Amino acid sequence: MSLMKNVWVFSDKQDILAEICAGAHQLGERVTALLIGNQSTADEVIKAGADHVYLMGELDGSRMVEDFLPTIEKLVEDHKPELIIFGNTKRGKLMAGRLAAKRGTSVLADVIEFAEDGTCKRRVYGGAAISTIKSNAEVAIATVGSGVFGPQSLDESRQGTTEKVEFIPADSKIKCLERRAKGSVTVNLTAAKRVVAVGRGFAEKEDLKMAEELAELIGAEIACTRPIAEGLDWLPRERYVGVSGVMFKPDLYIALGISGQIQHMVGCNQSKTIIAINKDKAAPIFKQVDYGIVGDLYKVLPTLIEKLKAGK
Amino acid sequence: MNVITCYKIVPDDQDIIVHEDRTLGLEKAELEIGQYDLPAIEAGMKVVADAGGKVSALSVGSKHLENTKLKKAVLSRGPDDLYLVVDDSLADADTHQTARTLAAAIKKIGNADLIICGEGSSDLYAQQVGAQLGELLGMATINAVSKITVEGDKVIVERTLEDEVEVLEVSLPAVISVTTDIIQPRIPSMKEVLSAGKKPVTQWNLADIGLADNPKTMETINTLAPELAERKLIINEGDSEEVVDQLLANLRQELQ
Amino acid sequence: MSADKYEVIIIGGGPSGLAAAYKLAQAGVEVVLVERGDYCGSKNLSGGVFYTRVLDQLIPGFWEEAPVERYITNYVTALMDKEDYFNLEYKGQALSKAPYNAFSVLRAKFDRWLAEKAEEAGAMLVNGIKVEKVLKEGNKITGIVAGDEEMMADVVIAADGINSFIAQEAGLRGPIKLEHLAVGAKALIELPREKIEERFRLTGNEGTAYAMLGEASHGVAGGAFLYTNIDSLSIGVVLRLDDLVKSGVKPAEVLDDLLEHPMIAPLVKDGKMVEYGAHLTAEGGLHMIPSQLVADGFIMVGDAAGFTINSGLVIRGMDLAVGSGMAAAEAIIEAKEKNDFSASALSAYKRRLDESFVMKDLKTYAKAPIFMENDRLYKSYPKLANDLFGKVYNHDLTPKKHLLKTALDALKENKISIFDLALDGFKGVRAL
Repeated sequence: MSLMKNVWVFSDKQDILAEICAGAHQLGERVTALLIGNQSTADEVIKAGADHVYLMGELDGSRMVEDFLPTIEKLVEDHKPELIIFGNTKRGKLMAGRLAAKRGTSVLADVIEFAEDGTCKRRVYGGAAISTIKSNAEVAIATVGSGVFGPQSLDESRQGTTEKVEFIPADSKIKCLERRAKGSVTVNLTAAKRVVAVGRGFAEKEDLKMAEELAELIGAEIACTRPIAEGLDWLPRERYVGVSGVMFKPDLYIALGISGQIQHMVGCNQSKTIIAINKDKAAPIFKQVDYGIVGDLYKVLPTLIEKLKAGK
Repeated sequence: MNVITCYKIVPDDQDIIVHEDRTLGLEKAELEIGQYDLPAIEAGMKVVADAGGKVSALSVGSKHLENTKLKKAVLSRGPDDLYLVVDDSLADADTHQTARTLAAAIKKIGNADLIICGEGSSDLYAQQVGAQLGELLGMATINAVSKITVEGDKVIVERTLEDEVEVLEVSLPAVISVTTDIIQPRIPSMKEVLSAGKKPVTQWNLADIGLADNPKTMETINTLAPELAERKLIINEGDSEEVVDQLLANLRQELQ
Repeated sequence: MSADKYEVIIIGGGPSGLAAAYKLAQAGVEVVLVERGDYCGSKNLSGGVFYTRVLDQLIPGFWEEAPVERYITNYVTALMDKEDYFNLEYKGQALSKAPYNAFSVLRAKFDRWLAEKAEEAGAMLVNGIKVEKVLKEGNKITGIVAGDEEMMADVVIAADGINSFIAQEAGLRGPIKLEHLAVGAKALIELPREKIEERFRLTGNEGTAYAMLGEASHGVAGGAFLYTNIDSLSIGVVLRLDDLVKSGVKPAEVLDDLLEHPMIAPLVKDGKMVEYGAHLTAEGGLHMIPSQLVADGFIMVGDAAGFTINSGLVIRGMDLAVGSGMAAAEAIIEAKEKNDFSASALSAYKRRLDESFVMKDLKTYAKAPIFMENDRLYKSYPKLANDLFGKVYNHDLTPKKHLLKTALDALKENKISIFDLALDGFKGVRAL
């Protein structure tokens, strides 16, 4: 494929910005980062992969990240890169959408793959399928999550240029009164190499402890199906496999009490090995496993845990 | 306070069939109000319960919107009336087309103070329409809102981001996209269901709202279920020791 | 009429409730029907074959628009042993002409359609809400309670199906005896219609209904059924609850075994199992019908009133449901003219039932359940029939005997006395 001439990247999060800058070289000859920061952060971004950085200013107490949108809008209008990628944080999604509306186009949202022919892919229908889409716009606008471009490394010797640009004040009708740190859920399923996932086969929240024990024994992260995260609320949403945008490629995936509906399976079907325990022999998951047990997980799981403990 | 809550009618994704050629079959799927739109409607009801006013529900799409059961389903959740923009071209509208259509309808309804959207549609989940809508209307726009408190001609919102919560003062009129944490949607009571059928419904087409021209901004080339990897399919039945031992042996190999 | 009071509230959106709603709405009566499922039919399950003449009375020419499956032209009675089987098949050409006699139905589709008809006629439907209790003033039923909501009515119709909580709650019936209940487990197997027509020798929309006895139920009181739908087969087992509990057998296992039986396996081969469900059903017939079907402001219809007939050869419930729903509607219309909704005014319902096929057939088949309690039906006779015909057709060079001797030998081997056989036969032809 011929690379695009210019790919621009923006994120309100430094690490995501760095990751996408590195990955954007797969798409464009020249990668430009739009940065809220200072020269030192600009240098870091260059090392990560940016060829050029537009330094838009810093966040002082009075400015919100979103206030930088007019500055970004003007830069995009003046230079018209073929593609601008926003990291898909909540802020990123908002800003991408507002930019798109201003420019009369849509956003390619939560892209999981960019193809050589200018199309890209995203998950739809709760994860049951993948749509291949393409923007008609002069400047395509996309949002992308962590893990899409694969692991990148820092190159200390990398060189690039920095350009300070004028901050255009926003006529903001939104004022930030307060910011509070959130007890953030530090779950990173995309990085997990081993996963134990729980589904409706578990009758009570307390029973999840068995799954957690298994996970601990084999060094796995806990994940779950949609009803457990959204309906029953037994686990935080970050642990739900199947939501669009979560890239997921573990070596080992153990599904406990999960029936295997398409939405869920798409989330984990890139796993190297899939194991399932479910008491329903007709459950769709058994069409997509490497190893499975049709049995009562309330009997199998404790036995499995016992043996693992004994063997170790 | 005039509140407009936007919703989308989507197929129940539990009913989706995957054909041999990996395309999706949606024709048999039950239609429902998007699950992320229900808290948005309820949030609108809470705002007027606290601050007085009226809630109108609004949706744009194809003829599916005319389904009586679906209209009643929305109205049984509290809105005083319902506005629909129906046109078959909206069946596969992209987010920009949807946002433009909603914007035109909202302008025609007039006097909106607060527009509330769900965080995304439960079928395509681009999470874009709210953001685009606010920009097109020239109103304050914010997403990820988990709490709304009315204070005169402003609203104070809590916005739940990845690592922090922002407390923001938003001037009205505004477009707010809310998360599912904002409020638990009600289960309509019998009375609410029975009175839903009597509430006014206004239906427009694209020409009525001055949007004869609403071009696509992106193409969907195909939508396919992913290819399934070839799996070993080694499955044993029962909960006996032997069966578990067998699995353990395989598991140990993988843990190597 | 205040917003909180309606003329009639119907609890339950199955055939009995919907038939009543439809007829009442057509007569301009204000009727609300409350169904606990998300849509009418979502919680209903039936084998099922619907004897539809009564539906034709309610909605003439219904087959032109109702989502019914095949009209039944072929009836098979099968006596099954572990691997052998002895069948009798009847096909009646008269059964293949309008107004038709019986249709196979899929309740999720059918009830939904009937609900739409009721709504079109003006009935107001509320879905997704479970009615927990009735409101009472002394002995008079004045309305319903769901969650913390109350709604009043001149008449409440209990159409909430088998094991009606409402009927028990209203004090009109006690808990149902286990021998009057059965568990039905059913699978829906998709097959292209051409295959169905080929395997069952049907043309066009003709259909067949199988009634199976013997090994099909692993010797537990009950039987099995197989009905052809347009492009699927409904196959299931019905096991009487008291016998089921005694035997320790599991309905799902019995159904699994049935699907593998040499008679059934080729019929379902290559089919795709798309649904599996279980439901309680009634077996008691006339004897499980409460003595009081009406109270002040209250009527019971359909399965809630115990209106089912199982004659072994034929299983009926839906026609009785519709018939009783219509009778209830007519009684209420009559009562409304006098503005009297007391039990005595509503007893016009009982009178109409007695005058119609509903009560008449229930009385005719009153002895069937007792007859069907005979263990020999499930454990001995199917085997006997197969043994007998096995002997008749076996030509292994041992000298043959006349039919009479062969039959007596078979009886002896199966430890059935001629007397029992004769008596059972005599009772059977008078009960079924």
